Amino acid sequence: MRDGHVNLLCKIVAILVMIFLVAPLLIIIVVSFTPTAVITFPPQGFSLRWYANIFTGTGKFMSGLVNSLKVGVLATAIDVFVGVFGALSICRYNFKGKNVLLNYFTSPMYVPSIAFAFVLLQVYSQIGGITGMTRVFIGHLIIILPYIVRNTVSVLHVFNWTLEDAAASLGANPIQVFFKVTIPLAKPGIVSGGILAFLYSFDEVALSSLLSSPRFVTLPIRIMNYMELTFDPTLAAISTLLILASLIIIVLMDKFVGLDMFMK
Amino acid sequence: MATLALKNITKRFGDFTAVKDFNLTVEDGEMIALLGGSGCGKTTTLRMIAGFTEPTEGSIFVAGKEMGKIPPYKRNVGIFFQNYALFPHMTVFENVAFGLKLQKLPKAEIEQRVSEILNLVKLYGLEKRYPRELSGGQQQRVALARALVTRPSILLLDEPLSNLDAKLRVEMQVEIKRIQKELAITTIIVTHDHEEAVSLADRVIVMNAGQILQVGSPYEIFDKPNSEFIADFMGFSTFVKGTMGGEARDGKRPVTCSGKTILVSAEAAEGIEPGSSVTLATRSEHMELVKEAGENVVEGTMQAATYKGHTTRLEVAGCFDEVIYPAADEYIELEAGKPLLVHLPVDRLCVYKNNA
Ligand SMILES: Nc1ncnc2c1ncn2[C@@H]1O[C@H](COP(=O)(O)OP(=O)(O)OP(=O)(O)O)[C@@H](O)[C@H]1O
Ligand SMILES: [Mg+2]
Repeated sequence: MRDGHVNLLCKIVAILVMIFLVAPLLIIIVVSFTPTAVITFPPQGFSLRWYANIFTGTGKFMSGLVNSLKVGVLATAIDVFVGVFGALSICRYNFKGKNVLLNYFTSPMYVPSIAFAFVLLQVYSQIGGITGMTRVFIGHLIIILPYIVRNTVSVLHVFNWTLEDAAASLGANPIQVFFKVTIPLAKPGIVSGGILAFLYSFDEVALSSLLSSPRFVTLPIRIMNYMELTFDPTLAAISTLLILASLIIIVLMDKFVGLDMFMK
Repeated sequence: MATLALKNITKRFGDFTAVKDFNLTVEDGEMIALLGGSGCGKTTTLRMIAGFTEPTEGSIFVAGKEMGKIPPYKRNVGIFFQNYALFPHMTVFENVAFGLKLQKLPKAEIEQRVSEILNLVKLYGLEKRYPRELSGGQQQRVALARALVTRPSILLLDEPLSNLDAKLRVEMQVEIKRIQKELAITTIIVTHDHEEAVSLADRVIVMNAGQILQVGSPYEIFDKPNSEFIADFMGFSTFVKGTMGGEARDGKRPVTCSGKTILVSAEAAEGIEPGSSVTLATRSEHMELVKEAGENVVEGTMQAATYKGHTTRLEVAGCFDEVIYPAADEYIELEAGKPLLVHLPVDRLCVYKNNA
């Protein structure tokens, strides 16, 4: 009897949580198809005009998207490289100050990004001549690194290092061991870290708003600027597209990385 | 296909000495069994030979060549890991083919050799499975196949059969032995099972606390362990304390145990002065129940009887201060207090001098 009650309670809570998580998304999606400029719920009719507005309107969203992708992809690519080597050197060797080094690598996670942006601005003005994309890029490069290091380290913590020995005893040189054993096995951490890092960069607002220059504006800043002037369902349309993109990324990640494969 | 020599190998982890002054020469094509309790340094020794970790002192020679700084992938030493170390992201086929692919063999040959060895370890048809989709014993055989398939010149097997049922274990022993002899691979096999050790190996090494206690033929180790410790480890059950008697007569010498005189072979007691305190040791299956009194026959009473399948192991008290454990090869009902006569065969008694 008691089990039954507990079970029911669990179910109710689970359903409430689901509603809580999904409802806002559903509202955004529904609103994006509304024909009127004033956001109403439930919508009257169906229209794609706000989607068209993304591409033709005053928001310059497409240039923002391109900029965001440039910064996000480039910063993630470089950080995957740096982060994986960092994580490997932290995990492979036992040395004093191992944890200090790990914390050093992940410290940007704990510093408020506004404070961080402020420091960067100081540095830029000291050095001078840093313009356009570089300003935002350097900031992102630093703040997303922790996600890659953390995720890779969490996989490597439970890594069976004997596997590297096994490969070596079968004739694999260190480079072959690295690419045939270490990297494939660390892949779930690297990929999930990389995706998290990219997504963080992609919708980062605080840092970017301070470091952007008129010549280089990322998508979230474009959206924010647009919102300050006009409040119409264009934003809902953009959000819907972004939700769709995230879904696709999650599905692809599941398909190609097969995270469950390593959960033994 | 190569001799292996370990000269004065010592391995320390911090203050702890895992292997101490280890000396061993393994002949070309010889098979050595390494026996010893848990934590005595067996795996550590193998890891040094394979080159995963460097000895703190001493050197290792393969085919007369000092290994020193030669990295593991250039040593051609195959190793079966105690925890299998199968690649979780590769199928059975890919695991086994891993070494062959690195040797850049033609595809057809790789496929042929992999399927040959999988047949041999009775895993045919499981090529496409991932290690996590296999039972423990199947995983163990994949690891064995992977170690054997590359035909290394030296093969190190760290408890390769521990997870198999009795029948499969015997079959695998036969296969290991056959491949090992056929290709004349110099082999060291670690095992906790002393019957496996004596049935597979040309020579057996018993280790304790990082040191070699005895090296000998399977027969010597199994029947003539050179210390009480090894006797205990090799499955001797009965240990009786006594005092060494005088001169040999008819190749026998007397030992007084709890007031009774037990004869032992002069050979077993060689070099032990009369009056020394000694321990006699023997196996359960070497003692027999008899009907009549005679030489080395002692009387006691039954305390317990444990049926073991083909033998019954008895506990008999009252013969000596110590309890003895003869085995009978038929089923015997427990009758506590029943008087029994037990014969201790002269040439089956090992004699160890006790330290003062
Ligand atoms: N990397 C290490 N650091 C510190 N101590 C170690 C290390 N590796 C092994 N040891 C210690 O060295 C000793 C020998 O270990 P080893 O693994 O060689 O034992 P073993 O004979 O293989 O035991 P088992 O039969 O249980 O496998 C153990 O006491 C172990 O705790
Ligand atoms: Mg071991």
